[in-house]
Amino acid sequence: MMRNGKKGQMRIIEAILASFIIIFALSFANIFVITPTSPKYEVTELQKLGYNVLHDLDEQALLARFIYNKEGDNITAALRVLLPLDVHFSMTVYDLQGIKTDNTAIFYGDTETFATSKNIASVTYGLVGYATKINDAYQATYEPRIVILQLARG
Amino acid sequence: MVSAVYDHIIAILVIGAMFVGAVVVLPTMSYINLQAVDQQQLRNTALNIFNAMLLNTGEPTNWGSIRDFQKNDQRVQRFGLASAQESTFFVLDPDKVQRLVVGNPLNYCDYNKVRELLGLQNYGFRLRIIPPFNVTFLSVNLMGNSLYYKARVSYLDEGPIPNAEASATVVCTEGKDYFNINQSGTVKTDSMGICEDIIPLGISDPDFYTVILRVTVAEVATLIVTSTQTINNTIARINIVYDTIILTSWKDPPDYNFQPSENVWIFDIATFGSRGSLWKLLEGDEKGNDNMFNTGKGPFERWFRDFVGLRAFQPVILIFNFWAVDPMTGRGRHQVLITMAYPELLGTSIFEYGGLPYRDDAVVRIQRSVVISGMTYTAEVWLWKESP
Repeated sequence: MMRNGKKGQMRIIEAILASFIIIFALSFANIFVITPTSPKYEVTELQKLGYNVLHDLDEQALLARFIYNKEGDNITAALRVLLPLDVHFSMTVYDLQGIKTDNTAIFYGDTETFATSKNIASVTYGLVGYATKINDAYQATYEPRIVILQLARG
Repeated sequence: MVSAVYDHIIAILVIGAMFVGAVVVLPTMSYINLQAVDQQQLRNTALNIFNAMLLNTGEPTNWGSIRDFQKNDQRVQRFGLASAQESTFFVLDPDKVQRLVVGNPLNYCDYNKVRELLGLQNYGFRLRIIPPFNVTFLSVNLMGNSLYYKARVSYLDEGPIPNAEASATVVCTEGKDYFNINQSGTVKTDSMGICEDIIPLGISDPDFYTVILRVTVAEVATLIVTSTQTINNTIARINIVYDTIILTSWKDPPDYNFQPSENVWIFDIATFGSRGSLWKLLEGDEKGNDNMFNTGKGPFERWFRDFVGLRAFQPVILIFNFWAVDPMTGRGRHQVLITMAYPELLGTSIFEYGGLPYRDDAVVRIQRSVVISGMTYTAEVWLWKESP
């Protein structure tokens, strides 16, 4: 009699353990599900926004002028008026060796936002050179720059 | 015996807890996933709608410039606001955007019609066109035969914009014959975003004066604002459709019992473009027939004229100088009317079109910078699901 009772208890314990394993497996699988609220989608949207703005500036022949003439204030102002109010940004310009070409901060927003946000988008935009007027003729030198624009919602 | 009862009680409690857990936890997990999938679908739809609105020209490609446009015109087969003349992305056709201005005297497409054209029966949307920055006049004063103005240029978060370039144009009238437009040089805003200038007028104590200020930030975004003194415009509503300026009655149909101003002439028309140039479109006098119209009689559309190249000029502001003879006193007087070339657009206020979401957290928002008539704005589309 006692033996049968203990057997029953063991079955219950087995059932509990089995259910825990199932719940654990489901929860574990859930970690890998990419939900739209995940950073990936927000980052994609910010990337499109950033690329759109850089492309607009480039189309107007302003981006190269701002970068090569080191007009950091103008880039900051242009990005602030072109990007939505809640988008914070940080821009860095590198040469082909990966060395920063300008130490002026091209930045808007709260430093805390970039330190804490999980949704930071990074847009890379390449410039090959900038034409300057020398003796009434435009001359362009091959001097590539890599613009990295980081965006986050504040 | 007692221990068997305890065993059963514990077993019942454990099975009960497992049942409750299964009933509550598992559906919650799937519900969160379902919600997530739903939101992702909303995001995809929003992106498609956004592209359809801002990258497509619609069908016919010039649907905004159809001259005899009807409300919810059946000739519009597909909706899109992009300009057919531009090869670059996100350049909007002002004629098409104007067809979203509810109350446009030359007709418009209402929210339900646009939803139908976009195939958004079970969704709601809202389109917002946001100016890139703000310009506010702090003071405009006459100083003898000069005019002094002071304005503040700020970001949308009210932060000052230093080094913005501002150039002023002053319109003033005096008596019957004096109508003048003066343009000043460029001044820059200081660290507080303040700009000020004194512009010589050529006369003292004008009957009417106004400042049109063109402000450019980092050569990329421009706003044109006026300091127009408040006037009660009862003369006509003014619209541009492609290269044509159209004046319409304020009353639809015209009120034939209302005592009309019998003799109204358009003495001058000038337009101020987004590139900062001024174009004097018309100069007339009180003897002409082609520059005369009647404010109280006649059809709803009172006066129109084509000005070839007007659209390409990218007009932002229209300046009209009317001359009217009062039927009671028989005396004539000037009336200067300064309006935006595309009413409710291209100003410093946000243009909004569409419905309102019932819950803020169920809305997907997508933003891009767009160009309308040479001016940069931010277009924002909100999309949400509505119950069928």
